[in-house]
Amino acid sequence: MRRVLRYLPIALVAAAWEATVRLGWISPEVLPPPTEVLAAGWKLMRAGDLWANTAASLWRAGAGLALAVVVGSALGVLMAWWRPVDALVSPLVEMLYPMPKSALIPITVLWLGFGDGSKILLIFLGCMLPVTIGAYNGARSSEQTLVWSARSLGASRIGVLRDVVLPSALPELANGVRTALALSFVLLVSSELIVARSGLGYLIGFLGEGGVYDAMFAVVLIVAFLGFFADRAYQAAVKRVLAWRE
Amino acid sequence: MIWRVAPWMSVLAVVVAWQVLAASGAVTPFMLPGPGVVAERIWTDLASGELAQNLSRTLYRALSGFAIAAAAGIGLGVLIARSRAARWLFDPLISVGFPMPKIAFLPIITLWLGFYDVAKISMIVFDSIFPVVTATVAGAIGVERELLWSARSVGASERETLREVVLPAALPEILTGLQVALPIALIVCIVTEMKMGGIGLGGAMITASRFADSPGVFAGIVEIAIAGYVLVKLMALARRRLLVWHREALAPTTV
Amino acid sequence: MSGAAQISIQGVSHTYRPPRGREVLALDDVSLDIAAREFVALLGPSGCGKSTLLYLLGGFLPTERGAIRVEGVPVVGPGPDRGIVFQHFALFPWKTVRGNVLYGLGKQQLERGERERRAQTYIDLVGLTGFEESYPAQLSGGMKQRAALARTLAIDPKILLMDEPFGALDAQTRSLMQSELLAIWQRSPKTVLFVTHDVQEAVLLAQRVVVMSARPGRVKAVVQTGVDRTDPHILKSKAFVEKVDEVWGLVRDEALKAQAERGR
Repeated sequence: MRRVLRYLPIALVAAAWEATVRLGWISPEVLPPPTEVLAAGWKLMRAGDLWANTAASLWRAGAGLALAVVVGSALGVLMAWWRPVDALVSPLVEMLYPMPKSALIPITVLWLGFGDGSKILLIFLGCMLPVTIGAYNGARSSEQTLVWSARSLGASRIGVLRDVVLPSALPELANGVRTALALSFVLLVSSELIVARSGLGYLIGFLGEGGVYDAMFAVVLIVAFLGFFADRAYQAAVKRVLAWRE
Repeated sequence: MIWRVAPWMSVLAVVVAWQVLAASGAVTPFMLPGPGVVAERIWTDLASGELAQNLSRTLYRALSGFAIAAAAGIGLGVLIARSRAARWLFDPLISVGFPMPKIAFLPIITLWLGFYDVAKISMIVFDSIFPVVTATVAGAIGVERELLWSARSVGASERETLREVVLPAALPEILTGLQVALPIALIVCIVTEMKMGGIGLGGAMITASRFADSPGVFAGIVEIAIAGYVLVKLMALARRRLLVWHREALAPTTV
Repeated sequence: MSGAAQISIQGVSHTYRPPRGREVLALDDVSLDIAAREFVALLGPSGCGKSTLLYLLGGFLPTERGAIRVEGVPVVGPGPDRGIVFQHFALFPWKTVRGNVLYGLGKQQLERGERERRAQTYIDLVGLTGFEESYPAQLSGGMKQRAALARTLAIDPKILLMDEPFGALDAQTRSLMQSELLAIWQRSPKTVLFVTHDVQEAVLLAQRVVVMSARPGRVKAVVQTGVDRTDPHILKSKAFVEKVDEVWGLVRDEALKAQAERGR
């Protein structure tokens, strides 16, 4: 019960939103009331446009993120484990960190056009960074005493990597992936708003240009809440897996 | 053997690899223009003043948005830290808003505020304010009560305590929040510029991509990367200056 | 002199209400009178509420039940008449030693030259001459505590509240600080309420030791120490050792009780 009450202010905001439009303070053109937005969203769902575009978006984000997680973790652990790799790649990571990943949008389009490929590549490239950093920090943080204990019990170098370093690295890695998850949504929406012919971002732009604002608001909120729920779901899943941490 | 590689050496390695790859014929010059071509394009843009124009416009928007987000974010953060009512109201809004891809709201902001700088800066503020608020709240709440009590004990009023103790004590965390917000401001700025076109680094890049001008696109990436790097470094420098008392832990003068 | 106590604590009780969890009765009907310029120690096991009593007197916590008066006036909040020194120094890390000491002085209506002069006087008094421009992060524990002491003494409070001020210091520094505190107190006597869990420290410093029971805190006993503090070998003197033994006897049961409660 307390959980629900915690989100009460959001309901209040929605109520205030409805009220200001109904009272005529703001034109419903510019700010369709929540009731109309919900109705428009429902209509979209029934019509099927929503599903097709959602599927396209989720596929892109999912593929890009999955690739980023696999390659990024491998790279991060490699960097933490072998000094020459670290020495070479660390400065690059540091330099690329502040670069706006969205700057890669035009180049991915140039290479792969307006379709799925460019988005997947963009998300892969953009999300690699937080994953790599998380894996790197995580791998480095594994306590020396744990590693030595494993070695003295007869573990090989690879064995130590698998049985000590990787599990210790998981919490930080999980954090990095969480950042990457949020970033994947941002990059997905950004690229779909600008250079796409399908997908949720594209749908938003399409509805906006057509003047169908209530439906546009609906999709914006759907996308926003998708990002929110993805984060919450991820955190819940991580908590389960990392239960030993407590 | 000691593997110490200076940053510029890494960059050099990348440039060399880039050149090798571009010259090898494995990819077309369209897909990967050589470093020389890109450098030449940057030079041309610099000489013609176009780079300066785009860069200054982008920086103007990004930094304005950042400054507004910083001021409003710190103010809001302090309010939330001190007022139970404010905390109850804003906590769910912030915790729900944080992981949302707020860029999705860009079409709404365009609808309300048009296509000019106001809209772009508003979007930047909307996105950047979240990390500032969360960091400020964390910093302000985390101030040790003994510090507050010491101030009150020597006669400081609640107001004075807020200004003279809470804010300085929370400064390290606040600065961390600002350090997170700055790259966000730049990213959002670039994306809004790409969407709306026109003057600005983002606008220039999207135009270049429309004209299949790949050296232009690559030049843009390099320019933005450098701008981002410089801003972050400047911010780190500012942090070191402001937190000189924090770092003194490295130089004890005990008796 | 009317003989009325400077500090009057009457029937004070205090309950902690954490946002989650049960309420805890920290103090139970505590009454105590303290005369002006007296050095009183509050002694007891962990959790007995001695710090709570100090915070109530300091005005940092509201007195819900009972009354606390200073020179006849009820305590409603913190003020420069009751200076406080904390165990973990509570120095403003962004200010230098001088900055910290000047902070309180800045709240009094003094002109600039006078403020600077007084700050320097107290910095010298605690033996930190030469370290005025150092930041707390650069100082050792003992030096930090001296700075905290200087900051509080500089505003010349009538009453000094000390919350286990030497608890975070190593044994040698603690010993040094105890002598210095005594010296300062003897030179410019103030009322001191000194919270500690160290029996020897209490008997060494205070004229009167108030022994508190385990939670909920009540006044179990009040002991006059009557030791000769001018004796350089006081720690080995018979009178001192016997007094420490006597007080320890009073505290021991409470300490065991407190430990048992923690284990629960």
